[in-house]
Amino acid sequence: MRQRPSPRSGKARAAEPSRAQGDGPVSAALKGMRRWGLLLVLLVLALGFGLADAGFGTLENLRTIADRCAVPLVLAVGMTFVIRQGSIDLSVEGLMAVSSLTFALTVANSRTPLDFGFVGLLAAAAVGGVFGLLNGLVVTRLRVPSFMATLGVGSMGFGLAMLLSGDQPPLIRDQALRQWALGHTGGVPNLALAAAACLIGGLLLQNHTRFGRYNYVIGGAEDMARLSGLNVDLYKVLVFAFAGLLAGLAGGMESARLGLGHVDTGAGQMFAAITAVVIGGTPLSGGRGSVWRSAVGVLMLAVLANGMVFIGVTPYLQKAVQGAIVLIAVVAATWHVRGRLRIVP
Amino acid sequence: MMQRLRALATTAGGLVFVALAIRMALPAQGTALCQKSQLRLVNSMREIAQPYHVNLNKGGRMFATWAGLDSQYVLQLNQGDSDKQVALMRALLATNPQCTVFNVEPNADVVVKPMVETANQTGAWIVTHWAHNKGLHPFAGNDHWIAHVAVNSEEVGVAVSERLVAAIGGQGGIVALQGRLDTDPAQKRFAGLQKVLARHADVSLLAQQTANWDRTAAFPIMQTWLAKYGDQIKAVWAANDDMALGALEALRAVGRAGRIPIVGVDGIPEAIAAIARGEMTATVSSDAFYQGSIGLAMGVCVLTGQAPLPQTWGKEQREYYLRVVVITQDNAAQYLQEPTVDASISEWQCDRLWGRATGPAF
Repeated sequence: MRQRPSPRSGKARAAEPSRAQGDGPVSAALKGMRRWGLLLVLLVLALGFGLADAGFGTLENLRTIADRCAVPLVLAVGMTFVIRQGSIDLSVEGLMAVSSLTFALTVANSRTPLDFGFVGLLAAAAVGGVFGLLNGLVVTRLRVPSFMATLGVGSMGFGLAMLLSGDQPPLIRDQALRQWALGHTGGVPNLALAAAACLIGGLLLQNHTRFGRYNYVIGGAEDMARLSGLNVDLYKVLVFAFAGLLAGLAGGMESARLGLGHVDTGAGQMFAAITAVVIGGTPLSGGRGSVWRSAVGVLMLAVLANGMVFIGVTPYLQKAVQGAIVLIAVVAATWHVRGRLRIVP
Repeated sequence: MMQRLRALATTAGGLVFVALAIRMALPAQGTALCQKSQLRLVNSMREIAQPYHVNLNKGGRMFATWAGLDSQYVLQLNQGDSDKQVALMRALLATNPQCTVFNVEPNADVVVKPMVETANQTGAWIVTHWAHNKGLHPFAGNDHWIAHVAVNSEEVGVAVSERLVAAIGGQGGIVALQGRLDTDPAQKRFAGLQKVLARHADVSLLAQQTANWDRTAAFPIMQTWLAKYGDQIKAVWAANDDMALGALEALRAVGRAGRIPIVGVDGIPEAIAAIARGEMTATVSSDAFYQGSIGLAMGVCVLTGQAPLPQTWGKEQREYYLRVVVITQDNAAQYLQEPTVDASISEWQCDRLWGRATGPAF
């Protein structure tokens, strides 16, 4: 009970991601809802947009949606691990800012003589990882709640990015990189492929490594994990570093696509990532959820954003409509865990 | 009751008289209000991540260096937080307010009022840019609000829209990326587009969305439109250059960069370079270098006694529209380089401060 007084500490459950334990009798319908609720919402949305405008389902638009998913998906994979261990990562946008600048300044650009090509993406990810590591250390060593710690570290990221940006945001002159980021392979956008690779990596980590299993355990019952001799702090730090790494990569990807390093590269991405994870059924109190389901959450948000533009919902109403649909989606997709989604019961 | 009112009125009248007398006694042209060493020049703006703001700062610094006030130049960044913009101002004015000049890019229209009030109360001097709330004027009793240099955003919208319509020969479908819908420039620039569209029946607005001035947000919207309308899109209108450049990258992804006319607003270096390359058609510049320096120049002129006190200036000298420049391929080369000090000096002369005024604003 040192760090996070859990509302459920009395009935701490073994970590088992895919098997929800209903409080009281759970009807068959709700069981179905548990498994299919999110996909149902996604289907209804896609069908609705498709009916409103037949062009919605064309290959080109599906490709557009895939492209739109890429960066949020990379972020959501990392965010799932963080939220699942009972923490939160609010540093995403700051990390994306600093990694965006790092990336742009290490590949062929308008400001520095460096030209590391695709290695620049690794540099961006590495910078993100270092900041993520810092997140983890501040949370575990200094015992600062992750909410504050990551906000602070993210702010540092912004500051450093501002410094790197200086007088002139660096323009990316590496044509190979630009072509890769804007291009397709076999009809699928390259960035979406990169994001899919991150998703698969996340799934492997989640399902087949100690890192993944302990992630559930720590989020489900941190005290028990500690009592049973688990090096909780180590795994927490690793998760933050992993999430930072992915945020850094996302910053690099977005910069490669837009052709410049910019402080605002991650604008609006943090809440999108958290929303996707929550829609995917990972409670903010941790211990449950899956990268896979977060990915479906990302897809749903992308379909929603794309569909609204596609069918031409007036921009004056769009935010309101978007908010309402996201709320409906959260309710429908997470009905079975409604009590547990809250941080404060 | 009446008597008391009358007494009150007399007292008030007396006070006004006293105030007037004091005002008369204040120095007119020729008397310095501050020593040069006491002057403090402040540029208050959002951030310095956008090229526009970078150039605002450069303009201010260029002026300060030229005026020999290099070490007295202060940059205040509010990071998009209106309260912070006011708070930063109040904090700085804890000392030496009478010799401090604020040149303000307001984070929002509403922030002008509290900043002007702060100047009035503390005795600091302020010049504001862009737009402010209705019913507020420098000449309406705000003696320390030296001037408001407004930009006629509707005129700007009309100017770029006309270039866009001309570029597609007056017919075809276009899409429009709006700025933040709750801001004055976004609304008026779009109104300018609508005005032009009303005159050209053969140009149709296929779709319009807001991308919040943001390049990252503009990219997927443009992609979606390309998926929906394909070849129907003959041109792209954007309320600022950043969004225009985001749309340009989306066009590049489908191999159509440079084949579809795009217009933006702001005249940021990247957009001017894109115009020179033929990937964009036009942009409009309010000249950030000028906006970043002119307010400081006005302040220095007033405080060193080289210009009369603002309250003696004409109305159209205290609140006016700024002349803007339309940049197309014809003149892009000229705007690719940063302006030099030599080219700007004449505009900082105390008798020529209003060289770019095009008439009373609002």
